[in-house]
Amino acid sequence: MEVKLQKGPLTARRVIGISLILMVALGAAILISLVCGTAKISFVDVFRVFSDSSHVRESTKLIVLRIRLPRVILAGLAGFTLSLGGLVFQALLRNPLADPFVLGVSSGAAFGAVIAIILGFSFGYGVPLFAFLGAIITIYLVLAISKRAMGVESSTAILAGVIVNAFFTAIIMFFIATSTEDRLHSMLFWLYGDLSQSRISYSVMTAPVAIAGFFLLYSFSRHLNLLAAGEESALHLGVNVERARLVCFLAVSLMVGVAVSFTGLIGFVGLIVPHLARMLLGSDNRLLMPVSALGGALFLIAADTAARTVMSPSELPVGVVTAFLGAPFFIYLLKTRGSRWTQ
Amino acid sequence: MIQFSDVGFQYDEGLWALKNISFQAGKSELVGVLGPNGSGKTTLLKLGNGLLRPRQGEVLLEGKSIDSYSRIQIAREVAMVPQQTHFHFTFSVLEVVLMGRFPYLKRFEFEGERDVEIARRALETTHSIEFASRPIDELSGGERQRVLIARALAQEPSVMLLDEPTAFLDLKFKKEIFELISSLVRANAIAAVVVSHDIELAAKYCDRIIMLKEGEIVFVGKPHEVLTCESVEYVYECSVVVDENPVTGAPRVSVV
Repeated sequence: MEVKLQKGPLTARRVIGISLILMVALGAAILISLVCGTAKISFVDVFRVFSDSSHVRESTKLIVLRIRLPRVILAGLAGFTLSLGGLVFQALLRNPLADPFVLGVSSGAAFGAVIAIILGFSFGYGVPLFAFLGAIITIYLVLAISKRAMGVESSTAILAGVIVNAFFTAIIMFFIATSTEDRLHSMLFWLYGDLSQSRISYSVMTAPVAIAGFFLLYSFSRHLNLLAAGEESALHLGVNVERARLVCFLAVSLMVGVAVSFTGLIGFVGLIVPHLARMLLGSDNRLLMPVSALGGALFLIAADTAARTVMSPSELPVGVVTAFLGAPFFIYLLKTRGSRWTQ
Repeated sequence: MIQFSDVGFQYDEGLWALKNISFQAGKSELVGVLGPNGSGKTTLLKLGNGLLRPRQGEVLLEGKSIDSYSRIQIAREVAMVPQQTHFHFTFSVLEVVLMGRFPYLKRFEFEGERDVEIARRALETTHSIEFASRPIDELSGGERQRVLIARALAQEPSVMLLDEPTAFLDLKFKKEIFELISSLVRANAIAAVVVSHDIELAAKYCDRIIMLKEGEIVFVGKPHEVLTCESVEYVYECSVVVDENPVTGAPRVSVV
């Protein structure tokens, strides 16, 4: 007698289908976000800006194309990067509490960016490059601190991340407090992410890194699935664990470094979005990667739209909004899942 | 077939964790490895799947040195059933078994019909098909162990290594797992090496028994030849009586 399987495995069609739905939702979110704001601009105006701009007032064009669009795109790219980074860190450390912010990678990147500005490397890819180096150093520190004979212990890594995070934040505050540099003074956003200074050139620099990083990480999505049962189990099934870990940590550090150097510290995106995705769709990283990345973009665009509209005409930094949502969420995760997952 | 040829291993300079290990497990043969804690059993399995490289001698898979295999190639030949596996994220039983297809898939490839068919058969063989869509972490210890054996089968291995697969199970499941291993080793012409502390079950189901003490093979042979009062007392340093099970005729070890 042949027994049939009730449910088939994950297919490429399902991954692509769900990704397309999310892309449509993302397009809608971008549009809505372009309409929202202190200045009253209608959907029709936004459409006209992109179709026949001769019928729109110059000021409307300026607001949509120069102020709102760069900000929305950068928010999307940052959300994409941070959420994907969170997912990958969680898989690598087998702990749902890991994310670039919690592990201190974001603040390490911000530290690198601040150093670049102080040393006068603030042209072109100078700041992102230093941010990348800051992120790498942080990852190295966190892993070195939490390394045990049998691999990295994930709860120690989280704790190490918290400590490194506090340390780098203190250094950044020190520089901001003592520096006469105007750019640092005006950019408290290193400490709580802010997208109000967005320029389209930032997105042009961030996008290729984010997209290339996504595909590189995606090529390790099955490897990351296998890591869920531990590194030794993954080795038994043929995964080159050392290489997978190295490539993934480097790729996330690069992506997060570049994003943070333009947005400052935006916390908890990588915690909330992958977790919701996992609750809805299971743990297969081949599906979770596009869902987390696109969902992260969606989430941060929504959060930033809220940040610039709820207190209108004054604005909140988007990091305040994500922390406001994320900190309770972190506690919720710790209470409900912490004991089961942090071993 | 897996063959150890005069293998020696030391973790650091100094004490040999294993030395002069020579044995082989052929097709359809189940070899049991017994010995006290710290006698080198786990090290032996790690050498068998290339996670450790011998300091001396060599390990041969199908007659070729394991050094000539890549990690992926080893995973196509050698499947490992661990003692107990904890999944940190929720995967369904089917997803776990399909993980066994990893060494056969290309980088961006998804499991195809053939892979699903292999997984389905593995689930059927291990009597775990009825919980294929359940989350692995909701299963009992015995059920989970069967799923891990199914995952190993999905690798279509020629060699299976089992590291105390019955360690955390009750009597009924212990017997069930040994029965399962013994039948699928024969049905799939697999060479299997099982490390165990369940002397009597090993005696009943294994074709040959190897007894390790302080990193060396001290006894080897058919269960009823090897398992004597003298050998068990010598290896485990514990007084025992060995007699014959009145029903099965297999050696029976009782502590006195």
